[in-house]
Amino acid sequence: MLVLSRLAAELGRKVKLPVVMGEIIIGIVLGPTILGHYFPTIQNSLFPVFGNVSIALDAITRLSVVMLLFVAGLEVQMQLVIKQGKAAVFTSLLGMIIPFAIGFAAAWYYPEFFKNEQDKFLYSLFFGTAMSISALPVIARILMDMNLFRTKIGMIIIASAMFDDLMGWLIFSLIMGLMGKGNDAHSVLLMMSYILGFGLFMLTIGKKIIDMSLPWIQKKFAWPGGVLSLSLGLCFICAAFTESIGLHAVLGAFIAGIAIGDSVKLNEKAREIIHQFVTNVFAPLFFVSIGLKLNFVTHFEFALVAAVLIIAILGKVFGASFGAKLAGFSTRDSLAIGFGLNARGAMEIILGTLALNAGLINEKMFVALVVMAIVTSLFSAPFIRFFVKQTD
Amino acid sequence: MMEVSKLKKRPAYPFETIAVAIAFSPRLEALLHEAKYYTESFKANLVLLHVGEKDPKKEEALDVLITNIGLPKSKTRTIWMDGEPTETILNLCKLNIVDLLILGALEKENLYKFYMGSIARKVSRRAKCTVLLITNPSVSVKQNKIKKIVLNGVDNPKTVHTINTSVYFAKALKIKELTVVQEIDMPAIALTIAENSTAPEASKIKKEMKDEEFAKINSIVEKIESNDLVINVKNVTGKPGYAISNYAKTKHYELLVINSPDTHLSIFDRIFTHDIEHILADLPCNLLIVHSRV
Repeated sequence: MLVLSRLAAELGRKVKLPVVMGEIIIGIVLGPTILGHYFPTIQNSLFPVFGNVSIALDAITRLSVVMLLFVAGLEVQMQLVIKQGKAAVFTSLLGMIIPFAIGFAAAWYYPEFFKNEQDKFLYSLFFGTAMSISALPVIARILMDMNLFRTKIGMIIIASAMFDDLMGWLIFSLIMGLMGKGNDAHSVLLMMSYILGFGLFMLTIGKKIIDMSLPWIQKKFAWPGGVLSLSLGLCFICAAFTESIGLHAVLGAFIAGIAIGDSVKLNEKAREIIHQFVTNVFAPLFFVSIGLKLNFVTHFEFALVAAVLIIAILGKVFGASFGAKLAGFSTRDSLAIGFGLNARGAMEIILGTLALNAGLINEKMFVALVVMAIVTSLFSAPFIRFFVKQTD
Repeated sequence: MMEVSKLKKRPAYPFETIAVAIAFSPRLEALLHEAKYYTESFKANLVLLHVGEKDPKKEEALDVLITNIGLPKSKTRTIWMDGEPTETILNLCKLNIVDLLILGALEKENLYKFYMGSIARKVSRRAKCTVLLITNPSVSVKQNKIKKIVLNGVDNPKTVHTINTSVYFAKALKIKELTVVQEIDMPAIALTIAENSTAPEASKIKKEMKDEEFAKINSIVEKIESNDLVINVKNVTGKPGYAISNYAKTKHYELLVINSPDTHLSIFDRIFTHDIEHILADLPCNLLIVHSRV
């Protein structure tokens, strides 16, 4: 899995494709879609559905998603959102609220079409969240390649993507926390208070403790092993904590990532090592395993995929563009921002995988989300380029 | 008291009116010595601001101090005003067209004060004039005088005014060296280059970014008439605000100069600390916050 995904990623790099795409393609090739279809015996012996190998792979992918969200949290720089001020607030809020509302309404009023088979309210909440999330690493790479990263437009896109990610994961954690517990007002309020309480603690007192501990750790413990193991240790402790109070483990990991990533005392080399370790070892295992789970051909429903794609693109582009326009950007720049935020990439896929594993969505909706994530990531750059004059 | 309308567009320097916010604390005498040093250097008028009721005993004690220290009475005024300390100081500065406000400040505050804000920090975030925070006011000002200044050369339209004000400040105090530091925020680009770049590609991207920033600040510095003042330009990597604060501390600068905040700062800026908040959280040395009034 690791070797093939790395080879695919390097090939993808030559044509400027996001790494995640190569990893998913390898999963599809090795999974029931291609290898399983033409050489089922080989596929079953490599990736048995039952037994120890399957259990071990499942454990690794669950661990991987926790670490991926930890790294996603490391990348979030809330001070960047705050620094951008009103422009980022308008863009990110409307870039979140409008696609969320459209997604929620679509799943609520057309439940059969959107495979809303279980808890109608929670499913609609999830679908709204899935429509509103953005993929920070993909967006950052696109902006970097276009020399837009350090421009005003670039900073607004990055700040808005960070805010949307944060809100998206908070809402998703709320959904996961409510599953099986009913969604009456009391449960909702209780879950929200858990989320806010944990978040506030980690981002205030927790951050101060991290700030005080990191210099000591980086000085007294072996380098880089000390920082690496203790950071990931904290990630798992927080993940276990949130899991134990009824929220999903990913929330704990995400918030731990924000708290550690926000610390000025974290050595930049240490940050890079953690990032590289997770994204080059565990991320490929996770994304390849997605393709191993199901047959992308038999679960591909064209009408559903098209509808999800249209809703996602229209909602996000319109919402973010409208927000940017209200913040004072020109129409062209607003549209560039809208399309910039439209890239969904890895975050959408992780969200979909967690929802599939939890039984919230079925395979057809999952395939639709994966296709939407890939298509929006591929076509974000050309549209940004169309609306913005490229700088040298 | 002059019209507030005269405050707008008034250049950041020269410092014609210097104000010092005073409290009857153990540091008062040292702060007044500092005030004398700066008013003599800038040939400015001095306004002492005390927030609180006018008390005859305090007034007498202050008069004695002013006489002993040698502050010229013709150029020194004391204003006693009751009210909320931060708002009162800010209003008095506006009404008296203060060019430089001097405040004593602790290097570091406790957790509660960090989030809620002390008077000195609150005033520095909102003042519409240049603010000088003195961490260790001294009665022996000339022995402890500033020898080296470091300035944050952030990419901002205010920076050119801040550099000019710093040059004016340095010349008046006969300071020989000014270092302009550019902060380069590596994590912001690290996440993009980490995943998809080879080592030579990553090095190239980092170098291009540094060179671009260097060229920007050099283009400003080259136009300044520095005369005897030596102006150096350097790059440091790290979180904006924190990197320069750390640099000032480790290189033992006596004064750090920064732009005034671009936006109103709230408690969220302390929770998600950035830029000036990193510096205010743990002052590395004396701090001059230049308000360019543009």
